[in-house]
Amino acid sequence: MAHHDDQDLLPTPGQRVGTFLKRKDVSQTFVLGIFFTAVFVVLGLWVYPHWMPNVMSKEMQGNEDIMIWFTVISAPIAGVVLAIAMESFINMHRGDTPPPEDGPGIKTHGPVVVIWSAVSVLFTIVAIVWGITEMNTWSSDALAGSNNALVVDVTGSQWNWSFNYPAQGITSHELNLPINQPVEFRVISADVNHSFWPVQLGVKVDANRLSTTIARTTPDKLGVFDVKCAELCGLNHAYMETAGHVESVADFNNWVSQAKATGGTQQ
Amino acid sequence: MATHTEFHVHHDSPEKVGRRERLGVRLLIVADGSYLFAIIFSWFYLRNLNVNNAWLPKGVKTFSTASSWWVIVPFIIVFIAHRVSMKNRSLRVPAMALSTVLLIIGAWYQWHQVCNMPFVAQDANGRPFYNGAYASNWIIFAGTNMFHYIITAFITLGLFLRGLRGNLLDPVLEEWRQRVAGSWFTWVMIGGILSAFTTSFK
Amino acid sequence: MTTLSHKPASARPIPNPERSLITRLNMGTGTVVGILFAVITYYLLRHHFGSPWRVNHGMDMTNTHFVNVTILCTMFAWSFGFLVGIGALIGPFRWLIGKDLTAEEQLYLAGDGQGIKRYFKYCTDHKVVGIQYLVGVMVMLGVGGTMAMMIRTNLATPGSHFIAPIIYNSLVGLHGITMIIAMIIVSTGPFGNYIMPIMIGAADMAFPRLNALSWWVLFTAIPVLCSAWFLGGIPTGWTAYAPLSDQAGPGMNAFLATIIIFALSTAVAGMNITTTVVAMRAKGMKWNRVPIFVVGATISVALAIPAFPTFMVAMIQTGLDRTISTGFYDANVGGSGWLYANLFWIMGHPEVYVILIPGVAALMEIAPVFVRKPLFSYGAAIAGFAGIAGLSVLVWAHHMYMSGWMPNLNGPFMITTEFISVPTGLLFLVLVGTLWRGKPWMKMPMLSVYAFIWDFLIGGITGIYLSDVPADNYLHGSMFVTAHFHYTLMGAALTGAIGALAFWFPKMTGRMLNDRGSYISFWLIQIGFNVLFLGMFMAGAAGQPRRVADYAQAFAHANLISTIGAYSVGLGMIVLLWAIIHSWRSGVIAPMNPWGSKTLEWTVPYPVPLVNFDEPPVVTSDPYNYGRSAK
Repeated sequence: MAHHDDQDLLPTPGQRVGTFLKRKDVSQTFVLGIFFTAVFVVLGLWVYPHWMPNVMSKEMQGNEDIMIWFTVISAPIAGVVLAIAMESFINMHRGDTPPPEDGPGIKTHGPVVVIWSAVSVLFTIVAIVWGITEMNTWSSDALAGSNNALVVDVTGSQWNWSFNYPAQGITSHELNLPINQPVEFRVISADVNHSFWPVQLGVKVDANRLSTTIARTTPDKLGVFDVKCAELCGLNHAYMETAGHVESVADFNNWVSQAKATGGTQQ
Repeated sequence: MATHTEFHVHHDSPEKVGRRERLGVRLLIVADGSYLFAIIFSWFYLRNLNVNNAWLPKGVKTFSTASSWWVIVPFIIVFIAHRVSMKNRSLRVPAMALSTVLLIIGAWYQWHQVCNMPFVAQDANGRPFYNGAYASNWIIFAGTNMFHYIITAFITLGLFLRGLRGNLLDPVLEEWRQRVAGSWFTWVMIGGILSAFTTSFK
Repeated sequence: MTTLSHKPASARPIPNPERSLITRLNMGTGTVVGILFAVITYYLLRHHFGSPWRVNHGMDMTNTHFVNVTILCTMFAWSFGFLVGIGALIGPFRWLIGKDLTAEEQLYLAGDGQGIKRYFKYCTDHKVVGIQYLVGVMVMLGVGGTMAMMIRTNLATPGSHFIAPIIYNSLVGLHGITMIIAMIIVSTGPFGNYIMPIMIGAADMAFPRLNALSWWVLFTAIPVLCSAWFLGGIPTGWTAYAPLSDQAGPGMNAFLATIIIFALSTAVAGMNITTTVVAMRAKGMKWNRVPIFVVGATISVALAIPAFPTFMVAMIQTGLDRTISTGFYDANVGGSGWLYANLFWIMGHPEVYVILIPGVAALMEIAPVFVRKPLFSYGAAIAGFAGIAGLSVLVWAHHMYMSGWMPNLNGPFMITTEFISVPTGLLFLVLVGTLWRGKPWMKMPMLSVYAFIWDFLIGGITGIYLSDVPADNYLHGSMFVTAHFHYTLMGAALTGAIGALAFWFPKMTGRMLNDRGSYISFWLIQIGFNVLFLGMFMAGAAGQPRRVADYAQAFAHANLISTIGAYSVGLGMIVLLWAIIHSWRSGVIAPMNPWGSKTLEWTVPYPVPLVNFDEPPVVTSDPYNYGRSAK
């Protein structure tokens, strides 16, 4: 019966995996892993759409998508790490004296290190590719829209925003935009650094003194949005906010002509 | 009687102590190098940006390239003098004396330049200001040179005075101290050359 | 040569050095001379310029330049004077004239036989310096923490008038800088000084006098920083962005002076620690046998050495703008706020890893001891730390994605930033690999490991969103960022430091840290911390900007949750403080090696002898050889 003994001494990979998975710590970890992965997937899918404000442009949608999907993609990693930690935690040794016996003397495990690093690198590349692709999309959208972009000169000062529409010849403290019209914000500061943040439009750019910076987007939903300052600029930074509106083209044109009629400045 | 210069706690040979001191000084040189990198970065970055066309506003005068280089010559001479004296022991005390004098002259010349800056203008209220980014960056290089002069002069003076007390000090340790100082002299020379190079870009 | 016995330093007769000046100098004389220098400088400048108090601080900045000169010079005079008065210059002066300190003088400086007084003197014993740093750090954390409580109280409800905006903005900035300074030194200061030399089998640090110098230089910065409150506070965040910093009132000078002084202290301390570890390890302690905490602390300070000077330059430039009217950050004369941002963040990003790495390294030291298993993949730990440190100098402009300074570089910086998650992932691997198949002995140091894993996981994942340029369009400058960096700096690094304190408490105080107090504080802090900053993620995701004294009604819910969490953290910290003080004074006396650890510091008794070891130890293996052989 010698050949049967030989077979018993050399388990197949399948049998090895099976034995491995049946081990108590492994199966506990596995279950915890599924649990934590699920938690993070749900978190990603539910929390961000719930917490983040109204999406009023493609850029804003892109931002929300990144938050959601990066969380979902990270979920398995979070799952593995938390599962191992939790499994360890629930199997603790309590008491005032150290445990009587040492654990297994595992100094390293080559394959695990390699796989872990490879997975890390893979996730990093996924994130990079996603980011670069998104950036390229934004650039080409901006390029495509640049010919007929509505230019708005945004000036931040301590502590309010003012918006000048050079083509329309008006200035306002409210930011009104026509829907589906590419807009190019040319942003500058009258004094210290501010940061121009039309929140629901998903773009942001700092306002610097004597150096113009640019942000571009296309509002694609009617409604109100917030314009906030996102860079501490002194005493009333918290109050440096105003409202913006995305309106129909007709409403926007009405507003422009009214503003012109009252001498070019609107409050 | 030789004074014990090392804390007995270490029980370490002068050789080991000397090596340690050299490593320590080299690490401080890294910090100083980072400082110099930052001001060189400032120079070229603002020159490149030329915000408001005010790197060198119209009519503002600069220092000549020659004066940028003359002001750091003492560091070069000190470096050479030290190298020579490392090979020839009897020259050490005179080399350090000469170096100290030269460094004081160098510091004086730098000060002289500061007193004659051609780019300080007056604003509407009659208060002085540095007219342009070239001007602002120049003064920080002048200050850096000054700082290097003071520190280096302290070192050369110290080595001079210690050289006079030669027979009372541990020779192996003092030899190491000369070598460690050599690292510093090399660095301030390089730093000086980099400063002169940078400030030549007007 | 004197032979030194086992008697504790306080019981031996005080050596009698030939020069008596050294024996007369201490913190008191330092303070007196420091104040003297400051007062003389102040009155000299006041005589020259006129009184700084008569100026009306309007928008005309050049009007107040002389005020800044007076205040800055007075502050530096205080710092320099203190160092003169405590005897820091005696060593260099004696070097200069070729009459080095005698053996007896050096022994005196090491605090031999001076009992508790040596903590208030220029004492070169690394163990004394370690305790000085520990107390200093605790004071700073207390002050910074109190400011945090005030911030969160103000933000509990919208429209709160608990604190006026001008004070609120100062609170935010000063809380930030106090905590950043405290966190930079929280692990390397106390444990890097007290424990590390013993851990590598050395008798002291490479440069004992410079060790004392780095502590006392830092000490002089503390009153300087606190003086900001009396000078009108600061209008900027801890990042002190220009040109707002140029425009700021006199309190800004306190900030500038603090940073310049602190940068000097850190450069010296970093150089000292690095040289000690490179040159003074015990016989047989090859690089692959060095305890991981030592490696982490060394990488951290070695990174700090090239990083911090750029911050110093940024502060010097701000100072020059504010005093002699240069225009580094004034666009009218060719300056740019982008210059400041670049210099700041070239320091600022490596700096957060300077903060993070020692905390993680301490937990990696702790985990093998309490799980009774070797540290999993020591090589991966080194690769992780080295990779993070190396990459950290290439990522700085991810803080400037939205600044408009060079949009074409956003992509490259995104790539380098995303890649930091690879070495960071290795740190997780090392910790969970150490936990795997172990049965952990659940004491306070070990608890911190678990808290770290959760906190740093959240911190890390949220960092990935921020590193993505498009998403940063939304997140930059919002409370989301604030929550992210508190998870990493506080959740990871401070948790690590607290675990380290619980771990090394027996060796630094001779007593065990009270268990019940630590556990209560642990849960109050960790649960409170998560409530506090998860609430903050909510507010940030909803669009609340950061550094705001007030906010719209829509964010009320999230902020209230945050504030409740903050109070739990505050309470937990108080409980921890109680536990520390109570245990220090009357805790259970600790055995020599209460945890059964294999590193060298546990082979010496408490009080630790002046020179640490009778005989220099010889090391024959790494300190993690626990375990039955692997299955």
